[in-house]
Amino acid sequence: MKADYIKILKNQLEEFDASRADLDEIINDYEQLYDDALATGKTDDEVYNFLGDPNRVAYDLIDTLKIKHHKDNRNKIVALMPFISVIIYMILGFGYGWWSTGWLVFLLIPISGIAFNTNFKNGFIALTPFISVLAYLILGFVYDLWNPGWLVFFLIPMTAIILNTRFKDMFIALSPFVAVITFMLLGTYYDLWNPAWLIFLIIPMLGILQKRNKVQMLIFELTFIAAIAFYLYMGYIQNNWAIGGLGFILPVATAILFGDVTFAWNMPKGGERKKVILLLLTILFSIIVFLVLGLVLNGWVYAWQIFLLIPVVSIISFDKFRFTSISPFVAVILFFSIGYFFHVFQLSWLAFLIIPMAGIIENA
Amino acid sequence: MNTQFKKGILEMCVLSIINNRDMYGYEVIEKLASDIDVNENTVYPILRRLTGQGLFETYIEQTNIGAPRKYYQITKVGKERLDEYETEWKTFLKGVFRLLGGNNNES
Repeated sequence: MKADYIKILKNQLEEFDASRADLDEIINDYEQLYDDALATGKTDDEVYNFLGDPNRVAYDLIDTLKIKHHKDNRNKIVALMPFISVIIYMILGFGYGWWSTGWLVFLLIPISGIAFNTNFKNGFIALTPFISVLAYLILGFVYDLWNPGWLVFFLIPMTAIILNTRFKDMFIALSPFVAVITFMLLGTYYDLWNPAWLIFLIIPMLGILQKRNKVQMLIFELTFIAAIAFYLYMGYIQNNWAIGGLGFILPVATAILFGDVTFAWNMPKGGERKKVILLLLTILFSIIVFLVLGLVLNGWVYAWQIFLLIPVVSIISFDKFRFTSISPFVAVILFFSIGYFFHVFQLSWLAFLIIPMAGIIENA
Repeated sequence: MNTQFKKGILEMCVLSIINNRDMYGYEVIEKLASDIDVNENTVYPILRRLTGQGLFETYIEQTNIGAPRKYYQITKVGKERLDEYETEWKTFLKGVFRLLGGNNNES
């Protein structure tokens, strides 16, 4: 399709930081070429072959582009950032004695590299691991909220979903994270692990809203509501949660009756589908491990780290693998585990230095 | 054939085509592709590069169907460059034919 072709070409040229004038001119020319090619009776596929892969075209045009002038200044700032960070770190250390927290300024190195060399959308997504680490450390050190402060790491996949998913699919895609956050908050602060787990039912319930047959959709939703109501009634009034759980046979039976047990998610096809399934399995696996470690070993304090698998898998599956992107999670696990199990938080913070180090090594 | 050499020939061909008459982008690509074996998607970057070097000027002309079209017109500098290319090319070809002819005589 013409719109897709033009969009890819435009995105690639923007990645090269082409000036507005160049961008507009090339896009106008390619729109005209595309129209002229279509007018000769070519199909979209034939036009694509005729004009060439838009990414390749953008590369072929590099030497004709006037690169935005500010890019030079940006690169200078990025190149100077290690020195600026050292100076700020020294000032914070000698001036205020903030040796143990001042190292956070070294995060400016990968942050500046990402902020100045990536377009807004991708840059914002790439920055979320660093924003999360900062928020997590502030919540931990200042408010002692190591748990459930780690929930801020969900900012990463949630941001990627919000910026990359169609509005229609966004709520379904966000629902697993909303469910985990709600579940953790209700469990941690009100000890309502049961029936807080019911919040996970919003995932299939939102998925069902996409069903085309509105009557079936309504019946489905009603079976869920009835099952939840029965479960709560049996649990709270009759004090028999186990019997209450039998109520969920109703929505399962309805799904089988309607012949679409795969109702839950209008998933994308091919590779994207595998990624979504992998992410869902990771969420499921994390919850199981979290509950097992918590219930069997009473390890609630450290078990939450398993949830860091979710943003890690999300980054590895949906983005190009770069150790810089997952280094915040490796650092958090090293920091917390070494600090907690060996009681050396005053030293374990050094684990965070792997973030700027990974950034420097991979961007060099 | 070496890439730079091929690029030079293509530039000369594009200059020559537009020297005959003003043309819009798609027309240039079709004309070139119909006469020589060339990858169509390499032509627009050449057009753009030569325009950037001042060898072509562009102007917009309204059409009866669809959006207005951008036409390429050769400039004085473009004509001079084309003359240079043609002279070089003819000298080169003469040398090649002489060599080939020489080989034929020997065999």
